[in-house]
Amino acid sequence: MNTITVKLCLGTACYVMGSSHLQDLVDIIPDRFGDRVVIAGHNCLNLCTSNGEHAESPYVKIDDEIISNATIEKVLDHIEKKL
Amino acid sequence: MFIDIDCTQQKKYDQNAYGDYFLSSRNKDTGKLAAVLSDGLGSGIKANILSCMTATMLLKFIEADADIQSVCEIVMNALPVCRVRKISYATFSAFDCNDEGFARIVEEGNPQFVWVREGEVMDAVARVVTSATFPNRHMQIYNIKLELGDRLIFCSDGVTQAGLGSPALKLGLRREGLIEFLLKKLQDQPDISSRDLAKLIVNCAKGNEVDKKARDDISAVSIYCRQPRESLIFTGPPYHADKDNACAYVFKRFTGKKAICGGTTANILARELHIPVEAQILTNAGSLPPVSKMKGVDLVTEGILTLTRACEYLEETEAVTHNDAAGQLVKFFLESDCINFMVGAKLNQAHYDPNMPIEIEIRKNIIKKIAKLLETKYIKTVNIKYI
Repeated sequence: MNTITVKLCLGTACYVMGSSHLQDLVDIIPDRFGDRVVIAGHNCLNLCTSNGEHAESPYVKIDDEIISNATIEKVLDHIEKKL
Repeated sequence: MFIDIDCTQQKKYDQNAYGDYFLSSRNKDTGKLAAVLSDGLGSGIKANILSCMTATMLLKFIEADADIQSVCEIVMNALPVCRVRKISYATFSAFDCNDEGFARIVEEGNPQFVWVREGEVMDAVARVVTSATFPNRHMQIYNIKLELGDRLIFCSDGVTQAGLGSPALKLGLRREGLIEFLLKKLQDQPDISSRDLAKLIVNCAKGNEVDKKARDDISAVSIYCRQPRESLIFTGPPYHADKDNACAYVFKRFTGKKAICGGTTANILARELHIPVEAQILTNAGSLPPVSKMKGVDLVTEGILTLTRACEYLEETEAVTHNDAAGQLVKFFLESDCINFMVGAKLNQAHYDPNMPIEIEIRKNIIKKIAKLLETKYIKTVNIKYI
């Protein structure tokens, strides 16, 4: 069974733009997907600086896929599709 | 030699203002430390005004190296006269010391200070000077030489008279009780910080009071001559990326305690030093990003938001312990004597996006603010280097 890794960026820009709320995924993901999805925080994914467009925080990385303007629904949708 | 000084206070149980007042300052250029503890007549606002005036005037005069005897006369004459008691009164203990340990102490009315060296109480010989205008007031003047490891304790009579009239302590804790308590604590914890020792003394005094209610204002000032505890905080990426490696190695070679404040900064150090930053454990630690872990680094936090919050905590008047990342950073600061900041001057453009729901402070400004607080309110030595 493949596991999916979800990384939440908790750097300043992402945190202010909404990743503080994304931390709820820590409870939601195991409830919904069990151990098929591993979730972890990241101190900074360096996406806000490298991405030119700065208005796309918060960022979440699902395996190698970057989700910009991430919301709980958006992250859950992506996981559903991948599974 | 670094002089670690801190004061803890407890106000009288039925008052909303502290009747004792403590002030201290450290001259950055000369290394001279000056401190005053004053106990105003009575309690509450009136005592607060008397002790505040006394401490403020004395500190200014001591900083200016004025003749202590004439200074005391000026201060005593300047105090307003109490309408009830027809006297003007605030006792005081004034202390100054240079960085070689030559200390001068003047006491008037406060309990005699306690000087501890290697677990024993030292005798200090006083020169007694009587006030020209107030013949009932006598100043004890001491000139002593402090050595590494020495401790001095100053307190208001709220400590020595704690428990007065209780069955266990008919005459209160007294100076003997304080000494006994101190020597025991120092035996148990020889390296205890001034901050913690002052807290313990106030708690001991309060604990001895009937019903644990402070019947008077209680203040304890602790002074500890120690090797300075150095710390380094690296925050913000260097302005020129080609300096990343050199800065990372300065950080690596530093021998004191180390902290990183900033996600990108932590990533740079992880890359240059080949030490992984462990993913943060997502726990509900207040409204700040959580701390990360990195081998060899004592604390890793997010940058601006945490620094801004830490600054707010440092500004608080009551010493409250906070468990979030900023609270841990404040603890890190307060457990150091000499705090070095390495501040990267590079800005993250994303922080200044007009869509940001909150205003994000510029790193340089927030560090300056923190440094000022640490120097003036917490009497720390602070160095800032912009990179």
